[in-house]
Amino acid sequence: MTDNANQEIETLLAELWQRHLPTLHSRLALLERAAKSASTGVLAETPREEALSIAHKLSGNLGMFGYQQAGDIASEIEQIFRVPTPEKLTQLTALIQKLRQTLATRL
Amino acid sequence: MRRILIIDDEDDIREVAALSLEATAGWHVFTASSGAKGIELAIAELPDAILMDVMMPGVDGPTTFRNMQQNPAIANIPVLLLTAKVQGVDQRRFAGLGVAAILFKPFDPLTLAEQISEVLGWNEHPPVKPDPSTPAT
Repeated sequence: MTDNANQEIETLLAELWQRHLPTLHSRLALLERAAKSASTGVLAETPREEALSIAHKLSGNLGMFGYQQAGDIASEIEQIFRVPTPEKLTQLTALIQKLRQTLATRL
Repeated sequence: MRRILIIDDEDDIREVAALSLEATAGWHVFTASSGAKGIELAIAELPDAILMDVMMPGVDGPTTFRNMQQNPAIANIPVLLLTAKVQGVDQRRFAGLGVAAILFKPFDPLTLAEQISEVLGWNEHPPVKPDPSTPAT
């Protein structure tokens, strides 16, 4: 692969990231709402499924943009929504905050 | 030139994969946002390979793959499933479908074409370029 192709991809990835930022913001907000609902250790099925789907998407695409650590945190969040336990559900708020902090300079 | 169909409900995954394959390998890329649209496009364009997400709303990747197998026109097109890292049991389930390969998300946009070429053996068998000295019939 040429340096030009490499540079072209880096540039296009940066543009795509900017274009998809509003979607990312709404996804993080949805996760935060779900985490707030789950802070009692219980979460209804519909918001759980919705949050699971969003966390899955984030775990798949953040790493693709070069944010591997953020993708790993999203995977942790996904696992909690996939197999929720009262103890794990109460950890969600802290994990989502960590995810935001990891992406802070790019949001 | 290789022709690839990408089927994924996620806009950003489709866009990144497409630009990656176009910029790094010069492949021609078609995209579809659902399994049903993907099958229509596969029949119309007969791509060299299909890169398809596992988890899609409605008809998922494995079901779309089984539907493709029912159509002789596209049944032999190699399909690569794209999925988040999965447990061993899911890997065995996907492998049992008969897909050409399973690739994991997040993929590296700089090496995706290389990865696809490697699993499909395309490095050993590059596409045949038309001979410019041969007159078109």
